[in-house]
Amino acid sequence: MMIKKISKERFKKLFDELKEEYNIAAPILKDKGKEKILEYDFINDFDQIVWDRQPDSSPKNIIFPQNSMLGNDYKGSKYYDDNLSTIIMGVRSCDIEAVKVFDQVFIEDDSYIDDSYKNRRDKTIIMGISCAEREDSCFCDSLGLDPIESDYAPVYIFKDEDEFFIKIKDEKYEDLFEDLPKGDQAQLKALKKQRKEEFNESSFSLDIPTPLPEKEMFEADIWEEMTEKCLGCGVCTYYCPTCYCFNFFWEGEDGESTKYKSWDSCMFSSYSVHASGHNPRDSKGKRYRNRIMHKFSYHPLNYEGLACVGCGRCIDRCPVNLDIREALKMTEEYLLEEGGDESGKD
Amino acid sequence: MSNYDSISQEISEIAKKLLKESKVDKVIGFGLGRFTKEITPIFIKKAEDADRLIFNKNCEMSLTKYLLNYKGEKVAIVAKPCDSRAINAYLSEDLIKREDLVIIGINGCPGIEGNTACEECNIRNAVICDYSVGQEMSEEEIQAEIEGFEDEIDKMNQAERLAYFQNEFERCTRCYACREACYVCNCEQCFTDSNKPKWLGESVKLNDNFTYHLMRGIHMAGRCVNCGACEMACPEGIDVRAFAAKMCSAAEEIFDYKSGMDPEQKTLLSEYKVDDSEKGFME
Repeated sequence: MMIKKISKERFKKLFDELKEEYNIAAPILKDKGKEKILEYDFINDFDQIVWDRQPDSSPKNIIFPQNSMLGNDYKGSKYYDDNLSTIIMGVRSCDIEAVKVFDQVFIEDDSYIDDSYKNRRDKTIIMGISCAEREDSCFCDSLGLDPIESDYAPVYIFKDEDEFFIKIKDEKYEDLFEDLPKGDQAQLKALKKQRKEEFNESSFSLDIPTPLPEKEMFEADIWEEMTEKCLGCGVCTYYCPTCYCFNFFWEGEDGESTKYKSWDSCMFSSYSVHASGHNPRDSKGKRYRNRIMHKFSYHPLNYEGLACVGCGRCIDRCPVNLDIREALKMTEEYLLEEGGDESGKD
Repeated sequence: MSNYDSISQEISEIAKKLLKESKVDKVIGFGLGRFTKEITPIFIKKAEDADRLIFNKNCEMSLTKYLLNYKGEKVAIVAKPCDSRAINAYLSEDLIKREDLVIIGINGCPGIEGNTACEECNIRNAVICDYSVGQEMSEEEIQAEIEGFEDEIDKMNQAERLAYFQNEFERCTRCYACREACYVCNCEQCFTDSNKPKWLGESVKLNDNFTYHLMRGIHMAGRCVNCGACEMACPEGIDVRAFAAKMCSAAEEIFDYKSGMDPEQKTLLSEYKVDDSEKGFME
């Protein structure tokens, strides 16, 4: 492990050095009609980076783009070179945990290795950033994550006013930062401690064991109740950093076609419809049940940890503000009333 | 113009009375979430919960579409003037029954923050209701509110418009939030979900995004009530309302037609008069 401490100016210089050899993606403000949205994109200018709040979207669009042509994913991106590796700068605990979910499913699961994801992932370095403030919808710590630091990123940034601590946890990347002035470990420790103390408490807590017991809840009437206001669009899944469902298809014209891979959403009614026309998930409640169960039951049963990281984007972005925390509370109340199996496993 | 607090209070009182007297099974309105202080649609079933109902500048959703989920049930609904027009449209298309419905209509609607539709809205009183809340606005007051409004897109030439919409639709991820938020979009199967014929490619590309928004826009002719719910629902801040709004103004200009003004009103495209104007809106 190596700790460095640099000024903003020095970081800018580092950025300019790194961009010669890497694609760099980071959260920048993007014009979206009347509003500006903080999103990850490939950039060329250090000063564009916004460090101080949670980006409105996760880096999913970088590590798992919505449309991928299996090899030519960022066509049209000015600051992306296919021959270079990519550094994603300023990724918070929640979004880092989400990359871990992707890795579990697409790389570490021996039964299937997704080459296109693996190739991209092998060429990606995540530089995490320590969270300083809770957004209204954040609840990563209620799910057991640490917003101050995640172990899953090889390099971590701690922003202290106009100075930056850089902690290099993976020796592999020490070369990149070697020339920088050394940082004081005790000072960093104190900063982390202070951050932790200042972090206000989440109003939400998950008080039931996971994996959630599927069999006891599958037929419950809570699903329709909690989705009474759901519109049935795909916003929660598209902006979710861990939702990875996708579709393959061929598209093209003039006798030529390209194989595409695009995001899909289990919240669309067409997602589960069979060729016969029968749809086993023919209501919003059944579709939302799948979304909750995948994150809190199926994923933890098959891998390690939950497939929800508590980033709160599904809450922020939902057109009717359907809150996954309320859904989890309803689940909890149902299980307590119905005397659910405490072990959480069937 | 009415103020939000007094409207909220009136809504709660009416809802409480309706539930207490078992006139309705539920009241569809706006309230706050349990964890965030964001406005969310709420469905009140007990009189003692009626105090949760509120109305403020963030009540941006159109609640009318929820009525389709409660066919045959007695429900009350809080309706902004635009939502009341949508209710009329549903009644005229026989999608809901008037006798099952209690409408709490908002008069003198003070508008929704960030909703550009409100800037040009000239229907500020509920057009159908059983109970009205707020203060009715006179025609002069309404005109004063929208005075000076100019449609920026109308001023653009063809090339500028193309560039404008390219820039907008490039961001579309086709999450279909605009479609789902729209009261008009209640087709059993949307053309976007059809695979035979297949109207749209699966990948999210500009030309397919254009196809989606143009086709949806065309369907809005004589139906859209310009409530702006589509625009408010869009997570990418796209001007999704533009085509529908153009359809509204074209219907008004060419056929003197304003949708949802009366429950007996036929939809624009289901009626034909010999002396109808044949002017195309592209001219």
